[in-house]
Amino acid sequence: MAEPLLKVRNLKTYFISKEAQVKAVDGVDFDVAPGKVLGIVGESGSGKSMTSLSLMRLVPGPQGRIVEGEVTFEGTDLLKLTERQMSDVRGNRMGMIFQEPMTALNPVLKIGEQIGEVLIRHRRVSKAEAKKQSIGLLRSVGFPRAEQIVDEYPHQLSGGMRQRAMIAMAMACQPKLLIADEPTTALDVTIQAQVLDLMRSLKNKNGTAIILITHDLGVIAEMADDVVVMYGGQVVESATADAVFDDPLHPYTTALMESIPVIDQDRERLASIPGTVPSAANFPSGCRFAPRCAMAQESCHQRMPELRELKPGHYVRCDLV
Amino acid sequence: MVSYVIRRLLGLIPTLFIITVIVFSLMHLMPGNAFQALVGLNPHIKDAAKVIAQRMANSGLNLSWPQQYVNWIVNLLHGNLGTSFEFQQPVTTLIGTALPNTVTLALTAELIILIIGIPIGVFQANRVNKGFDISTSLFAVLLYSVPGFIFALFLIFIFSFTLNWLPSMGTVTAAVPWSGDLGDRIQHLILPATALALPSVAYYTRLMRANTLQVFFQDYVRTARAKGLRSGRVLFRHVLRNAIIPITTQFGFDIGGLVGGAVILEQIFTWPGMGELTINANLNRDYPVILATTLIFAVMVLLGNLIADILLASMDPRVRYN
Repeated sequence: MAEPLLKVRNLKTYFISKEAQVKAVDGVDFDVAPGKVLGIVGESGSGKSMTSLSLMRLVPGPQGRIVEGEVTFEGTDLLKLTERQMSDVRGNRMGMIFQEPMTALNPVLKIGEQIGEVLIRHRRVSKAEAKKQSIGLLRSVGFPRAEQIVDEYPHQLSGGMRQRAMIAMAMACQPKLLIADEPTTALDVTIQAQVLDLMRSLKNKNGTAIILITHDLGVIAEMADDVVVMYGGQVVESATADAVFDDPLHPYTTALMESIPVIDQDRERLASIPGTVPSAANFPSGCRFAPRCAMAQESCHQRMPELRELKPGHYVRCDLV
Repeated sequence: MVSYVIRRLLGLIPTLFIITVIVFSLMHLMPGNAFQALVGLNPHIKDAAKVIAQRMANSGLNLSWPQQYVNWIVNLLHGNLGTSFEFQQPVTTLIGTALPNTVTLALTAELIILIIGIPIGVFQANRVNKGFDISTSLFAVLLYSVPGFIFALFLIFIFSFTLNWLPSMGTVTAAVPWSGDLGDRIQHLILPATALALPSVAYYTRLMRANTLQVFFQDYVRTARAKGLRSGRVLFRHVLRNAIIPITTQFGFDIGGLVGGAVILEQIFTWPGMGELTINANLNRDYPVILATTLIFAVMVLLGNLIADILLASMDPRVRYN
């Protein structure tokens, strides 16, 4: 494998208050190859959104803090940059889109300004030029009346159009990496497919690598080259998408796969995983999945398993497989 | 927008009509009348009862209330607010001197409120729970909790009486060559305007701090940071642009309030404005003046609300004129 675009090692993001220490992200490792799509999958509360915000160094302070780790992007450790240097990376070499296109756009600024300000900031273009390029960007994400849209406000657009505008914004400087945090969760299914298509075509055109964060395995199956499965702030399995779908090794991944409804299968009840994700303030002492794991044994509750490379490129955090 | 403003202005007429009916009724329900005070208490007038009746007849006070009201409205529509019983001058003349003084005072206070209140609120929110925030917040709560006229007394005691830096009475210094100069007028304006502004400064500071803090946690602010924008642009273009919207609305509402709120302070600073005029008119049952000043206060409040709506619609694209 070529030198990865992004290397994340032992990333730990905690929320520290007087009462508790919440380990939202607890020692996460993964790589993103240039031009590839990495899917990060997990339930709500598994730490996947906090991981993505940590990469951008946008963890909500002052309680939230990246306490340890390395995030090496194009050879630089982002965690060692000053805030000013980091802001040169954001929106420029690394773009991000968020789950809620309704609230992620500023309601009182025109779409054109919100896209154009990225170009003004990073490309130092004039206002007029920024507007011209914004129209081009809107057209490239599939807006038919881009000339009018630049002068409209977010509330005048539908949810899918707003997410397209978000993508245009994030892609304005042709970043090497796009982080998409649940980009389709808030959208209708037909619009979801359009947005995913758009992301795929932009990736193919610009060679942008994508980190796609979702709890939707269908989206992962459609988009991802590689997959990281997160549970309780940790990576429990990581491999190529094919390997994860064809040969899931971790009991959690297996259980996730079984809980996908299959249309032509005549099952009485959909399989589900008993219990809920443990609170990050109060993790079990051993394997974090053990309390919900059908295969768990006594030893699972005692000792936290290491992430092991079981097959070439296929990592699993489970002692039983 | 022009047609919206015209429609809104026409819409004020019924409201004003109702206000005048209420004021007219309340005014006549007050015991006594102007001539009992002016004539009845004057020992030099022999046949007081006859003089009072004569003067009431001259002023139309012997007519029925509805008839008096209709007369007043008809005169109003001719631009005639009547003649003051007490001063024997046209009410328009009295208001012509008083209103500019009050408006000057209120506008200066508004200026102080905005220039001081908004930046302090923003600084507090930007460094929330740090030294500046905590100390100024405490101070703001103190200012907000104490009525403005108490501050007026403190200000006079400190800056006029003790330090003798600033005048505490009137709008100009009498009998000096520089009387009525711009500098002289400004000197006289400082203490009353500050006393009028202080509680509102505190209120606007709290409001701005709360708004700014709330906007800080909005998703679109995170988006702005994710775009790599400098913190200055994030603060001014994304945070403040949103946080200021409720302030502009409040500002409109306060225009009427400040003019009314000046009434007591004008007494303390012997500021010859609407406050003095109103209080005197009420004490002396000077009906034409009471009606005129009340009408003007009502118009101020209603215009303030209209300004608030126009400001809101111009600041927030989600709000349309309709």
